[in-house]
Amino acid sequence: MNDKILKPGRRALLGGAALLAPALAARPARANGEVIVRTPGGVYDDIMRRHVYDPFTRETGIAVRPVAATTAKLFAMFRANNVELDLIDTGNGQLITLERMGALAPIAYDSWRWSKPEDVAPELRLRTQVANFVYCTVLAYSKEHFPNAHPDSWADFWNAERFPGPRMLADMAAGSPNLEFALLADGVPKDQIYPIDVDRALRSLTRIRPSIRRFWDTGALSAQMLADKEVVAGSIWNGRLQTLIDRNAPLAYTWNEHMIQVQALGIFKDARNVAGAQRLIDFMMQPHVQAGYAKELIYGPTNQKAFEGLTPEEIARMPGGERSRRSGFYQNVTWWEDNRDRVNRAWSRWVLR
Amino acid sequence: MPLGRLPAWLLLAPALLLLLGMFLVPIGWFLVASLQELGSLAEILEEADAVLLSGAVGGALINTLWISAVVTALVLVIGYPVSYAMSRASGLAFTLLLLCIVLPYFTSTIVRTYAWMVLLGRNGLINQLLLGLGLVSEPVQLLYNRTGVIIGMTYVLLPYMVLTLYAAMKAVDMRLLQAAESMGATPLQVFARVFMPLTLHGVVAGVLITFILALGFFVTPALMGGPGDMMIAMLIEREVELTQNWPGAALMTIVLLVVTLILYGLYSRFTTDEKGAMP
Amino acid sequence: MQAVALEGVTKRYGAETVVAGVDLAIPAGEFFTLLGPSGSGKTTTLSMLAGFVQPDEGRVMMGGRDMTRVPPRGRGLGMVFQNYAIFPHLNVAENVAFPLSVRGAPKAEIESRVAEALAMVKLTGFEKRYQRQLSGGQQQRVALARAIVGHPAVVLMDEPLGALDKNLRYHMQVEIKDIQQRLGMTVIYVTHDQEEALTMSDRIAIMERGRIAQMGPPREVYEKPESSFVAAFLGEANLLPVTPEGAAARGPGGALIQAGAGSLPGKGGLAFIRPEKLSITAGLADAAPNALPGRVLHASFLGNTMRYEVEVEPGRSVLCDTANAAGAALHAPGADVTVSWNAADSRFLAG
Repeated sequence: MNDKILKPGRRALLGGAALLAPALAARPARANGEVIVRTPGGVYDDIMRRHVYDPFTRETGIAVRPVAATTAKLFAMFRANNVELDLIDTGNGQLITLERMGALAPIAYDSWRWSKPEDVAPELRLRTQVANFVYCTVLAYSKEHFPNAHPDSWADFWNAERFPGPRMLADMAAGSPNLEFALLADGVPKDQIYPIDVDRALRSLTRIRPSIRRFWDTGALSAQMLADKEVVAGSIWNGRLQTLIDRNAPLAYTWNEHMIQVQALGIFKDARNVAGAQRLIDFMMQPHVQAGYAKELIYGPTNQKAFEGLTPEEIARMPGGERSRRSGFYQNVTWWEDNRDRVNRAWSRWVLR
Repeated sequence: MPLGRLPAWLLLAPALLLLLGMFLVPIGWFLVASLQELGSLAEILEEADAVLLSGAVGGALINTLWISAVVTALVLVIGYPVSYAMSRASGLAFTLLLLCIVLPYFTSTIVRTYAWMVLLGRNGLINQLLLGLGLVSEPVQLLYNRTGVIIGMTYVLLPYMVLTLYAAMKAVDMRLLQAAESMGATPLQVFARVFMPLTLHGVVAGVLITFILALGFFVTPALMGGPGDMMIAMLIEREVELTQNWPGAALMTIVLLVVTLILYGLYSRFTTDEKGAMP
Repeated sequence: MQAVALEGVTKRYGAETVVAGVDLAIPAGEFFTLLGPSGSGKTTTLSMLAGFVQPDEGRVMMGGRDMTRVPPRGRGLGMVFQNYAIFPHLNVAENVAFPLSVRGAPKAEIESRVAEALAMVKLTGFEKRYQRQLSGGQQQRVALARAIVGHPAVVLMDEPLGALDKNLRYHMQVEIKDIQQRLGMTVIYVTHDQEEALTMSDRIAIMERGRIAQMGPPREVYEKPESSFVAAFLGEANLLPVTPEGAAARGPGGALIQAGAGSLPGKGGLAFIRPEKLSITAGLADAAPNALPGRVLHASFLGNTMRYEVEVEPGRSVLCDTANAAGAALHAPGADVTVSWNAADSRFLAG
């Protein structure tokens, strides 16, 4: 489907598409020089405001306004030639799709004043996107339910006889279902997960499905299911889980076989404030800024220098560090962007069986 | 000029324009634009085959029809006595009943659904009660499966049925019931042979409204259902949100629209039928 | 034997007593009418007979049995409702069959009885019609047929003709009366129309504020009212204020008034005389008992009668109806006349 998006004339055709997204119909009032950022919303906005947006405004006089927008809305905006925001803070997969649509401006690394591009690993520093943090999906379990032996790998998680109890995994609607974990549980080595054999992954999922209470579609639901003891084990984003653990929930997780995912920044090329967005990226990538928000989010910084501002304990529980790279693996978002349609249909069929 | 002299179409014009502008045009436009994206008819047919025949639509449609049917039946069974009580009640009792039925609508669907989660969860109030009373030995699964979907949807749809039935029941002349009683009818006969037939058109309308609304349900099954409880509206949402496949979504929408229109056709046939022409 | 009896029946709604200690005994086969203005308690009394309303005190007896606590369906009554209460979802035949079918009567019996009842109300051929296809009079007949189809011993009728026009009403009065006599039913009939009550009833009970003011055959209650309420409610009545003087009394202009019945309290009362019992003669006659000089105010032609309004003293007039018989004299407004009557046709009332 993505190649079709590049057909000439389709933008005009879908020009009115944004009418269907009511929020797009009315243009929000825009303060002069303001940068509008798409964010995941919620607590995230508070943390980023404290560590990034407000200091940025103090430094430059440029106001920052976070807004919520689903991926579909971002795409509709671009298609309708009615881009309402400047900076996109989202999963790197969506940014790949937007780049393929020709929606993104190159990141102006050479005009960075506050941060040094070389402090960011090359695989996280691409032409039209730069990662602002990494997070990971881990195997979490209830310490109450498994006081002694606990599941320590996805093979263990798949072993419902040895570790009985209701559990959860990610749904397609969460972005991608946990096909990677299904393959690991089925004996595929970490470095041979991609390209994913979707049929094999679904066959593997079929075996554990009777123990799956629910495939979670939002981070909030996954946290709630563990907190409410609806499930005794499951895949979950580490930040969501850590928040529960810090509130003394009897939960724990293993670093073994966790999947590292990347959050990144991109700029709409038709945005009204490309320059302001470029400066905000530069500002956000500074080591001390990253250390500040990464510590609170419990996600990993992407500027290697940021680790210098963190304690060993803080580093230990952050994805993307030394230990994390040894025991986990990076999700291949390019594969996902190439195959999302196909997997979505296969997933729906499988789920409905 | 008295209102009654105006031609009917003129009186309906504002409503029709609103419907046309807010509903028919966007839907039609969405369908046409989405399908044009595919280009030729051959491509449309190819996509239709991929989406509808080999896709998950069949399963989701069966789910949708089945869940909608069960929910409609439950809503009718629960709603009928409630509506009856409301049609008989007056003053404070009526206000309280109406409030009970309508008050939950002052909160959002999501908030209401989360309230259900607190009640129905594995460690929710209902399970704690059942376990505490010793009625069950381990938690009953009331959430994240079809039971959850049906409970949630029944709750959300109940007012539509109740208010429709209430209107029909309020219109029943109570003296007819008294008359039937004086002619020797037992309470059951009064109900079955007089009250029920006189409210039948309300039942038909309520069932249709509930069923059609249920067909398009999305939030409740998404939040309260289990893995297999995918309804067609969820499938459409996924096509749009996850894969931005508007043509696929458009094709599924057409399927849902056709099913709904067929049902509506059946309904209007039934109601304009000589026998069905109720007072 | 008494078909129906009420013994000291009382009904209160809150502080208001709508029916106050009513006693009634209605023999089988009688056409009995409860007559009264709205709010007099007649409909509540009928509702207690039907069983829709429970009395607070007293007993409802039917055929010698205490039916006070028996629900309506156990009383075996036929009933015709004010609004007819035709079931709109059933056709004429099904409506009429209803009292039989709810009791589980055999199909053949239902069919023959329905046909018989419809024939009796002259609706044969209307079996398949629905309420909306019937005129008011036809609906009334359906209601009547349905009330009599089970040959109930007692039929209650609640203002059954109230919604019909005058002409149709007269026809239906005759038909109802005819059917009642043919079937030998006891009918308890509620109306506020005194003419209807007088035409149809064997006996009338006139109700006033929850009590029976007077009860008796139509002629008796019409001619011998025991109160001014009854006198005034049943048709036109002349009620002249009088003060007692020995066995007689003094009326308007000091005229001597004698009456065939009744008595007056010392402070005075009323002399009752129906307009048609007055005779009117031209000129001012000499003073005589039961003769009042006056002047014609209005003369109305009512077809078979002439109605004169005669002023007998300033601000007071009497009504006088005279038959338009052959050779009857006419009196023009303004003419001096004398009205007179026989003492036997008048009564003294306490007021």
